[in-house]
Amino acid sequence: MSTANEEFTIEQVLAHYRGDPRYQRGVEGDKMFRETLATDALDLTEASVLKERLEPAEINDLLAYMGFNLWDFLGTRATEGESGLIPRQEYETLSMLDTWQRYPAFFRAITEEVGIDGVVELGAKVRREPGTKLNLLHIWCTAFAVLLGRGIAVELGLDKAEDRYDDVSDSLQFMRRLYLGAWEEAGEGMFAANRGYDLQVLDSAWTERLLSEETKLDDPERLSLQLRFNAGIELLSFLFHFDNRCGLADTGPYPVPGGGYLIVRDIFLREPVYSWNDACDGLPYCVTQGLVFRPDREVKVEMFDGSNIFTEPRNYLADLSGAATLVRDTPDSELRPIEAEEMERIASGAGEAVMRLYARIASMHRRDLILAGAQVYTTDFILPFARAAGMWDRFEKGDLDLFEMDPVTAQAYYALCKDGTAMEKMPMLQITGRGFMPVAGDG
Amino acid sequence: MANDAFEVVGTGLNVFESERVVEGPVRWLDSPADVLAFVGAGEAPTSIAISRGGTTTFMAPALASGVLGLITLAGAPESHLGILSREFNIPCVMSVAFTDGIQTDRGETIPADGTIVRLDVSGRPEGRVLKASA
Repeated sequence: MSTANEEFTIEQVLAHYRGDPRYQRGVEGDKMFRETLATDALDLTEASVLKERLEPAEINDLLAYMGFNLWDFLGTRATEGESGLIPRQEYETLSMLDTWQRYPAFFRAITEEVGIDGVVELGAKVRREPGTKLNLLHIWCTAFAVLLGRGIAVELGLDKAEDRYDDVSDSLQFMRRLYLGAWEEAGEGMFAANRGYDLQVLDSAWTERLLSEETKLDDPERLSLQLRFNAGIELLSFLFHFDNRCGLADTGPYPVPGGGYLIVRDIFLREPVYSWNDACDGLPYCVTQGLVFRPDREVKVEMFDGSNIFTEPRNYLADLSGAATLVRDTPDSELRPIEAEEMERIASGAGEAVMRLYARIASMHRRDLILAGAQVYTTDFILPFARAAGMWDRFEKGDLDLFEMDPVTAQAYYALCKDGTAMEKMPMLQITGRGFMPVAGDG
Repeated sequence: MANDAFEVVGTGLNVFESERVVEGPVRWLDSPADVLAFVGAGEAPTSIAISRGGTTTFMAPALASGVLGLITLAGAPESHLGILSREFNIPCVMSVAFTDGIQTDRGETIPADGTIVRLDVSGRPEGRVLKASA
């Protein structure tokens, strides 16, 4: 694999952002990179989040940091190669271009409907309840998808970096307003690295409830059920969402009285807006687990902006000590606790759904796979905000017409998906920050 | 069989550390049809599957069927397949470069189907694939 800057090897680019030894993964790398920024645009001061338009220097700091953030979060994933089942890099490039073409108008429509304070309030829902897709992952995806799409548009010669300043500013402000609501108070940093890779976002009423409903997993059979249940529904969620993590979100680690930590994990098993939803008939919309870990060893827990957990040592499930398990049957229903018998039924149903969906997906033609995967990204990244704003009908059946594709995206399909261009471009956009080119200095 | 009866034929990135000894015949899975046939034949729980890419959905039926171990020719432990193999507690070594074996139709070197291999997943970041000595 070549790199944007040919003087570096791929190993150097994976080890340090842009091959620069100052920029490593983790808190130190984050600190070093932030020291290069000229403004405080990464911070969530109310004055800057609520203003209509960002200054060019603020936008360029945010774009520069987003390149670093994406490398930190996803860089190594860029090495995973082809799927063999779903052309993911093709659908990612296509859908991100589509979000660049359409989402800035969606962000403005939502803001017009609920107001700037209303957008902040949408973000606040992240704190108030688990088991909805209005979560940190989906907030992160709003502007990242759009601005990666901008990078693709510039790479393809469809736009110039200096074009559509307001679309860039509006997309960033929409994400920042959501983050301000999610983090409750104005303060330092939006992203996981800025906060020490800690995503303790849920209100204590929920973490206390989950701990009070904990089932201890001392019985090996009960522990085995929880692990099998957890893994099986995660697998279905990845497959249902066409090999991306739109259906998974962890928050935490929340402290547990007496020692240990709690991870709150949402896993979405279906989504009524997708035509393959019927493969999961009989399964709940979402499972929320309060996973309680009481390690008797030193464990380092890090949470990333994709709402995913990595630990050192990696086998964190070896410390699983208890769990509360709840389901939400439909997007609009309440979370309710479930017991072992229902977990067995869901685990078994998820396994059957995996086989049904796999056979269906394996029989699809390549173009259908790309369009279905693109539909997941283009839909999922706006769906929770549109739902919460009470505007979903306008997106699904009304004037915002979400399920149609922008003509520029439709035309770009051939350039991106027919000759391996997407496979070549997407990893480099993820690794090198090249997708986040600065705007012109005068706005 | 002791480790000295095995020789290292590939090294890659270990997804998670485990003291489990994972040993069995390998099976190269090149297409979804291969995956479905492999699972349908009931081979998964006793076999170590090899895939080209490091994505999780391609291997979904094998994961759901309790495949013994996983080897990929690309990808990193932070990828979706790495995350899922960790959740299933299925040992997985990714981005393995083999020094011995047969050639795929794309020129990649892999052990022939049925070769008995052992996964050394005791440490990180490196994971090793060992083949029973002749």
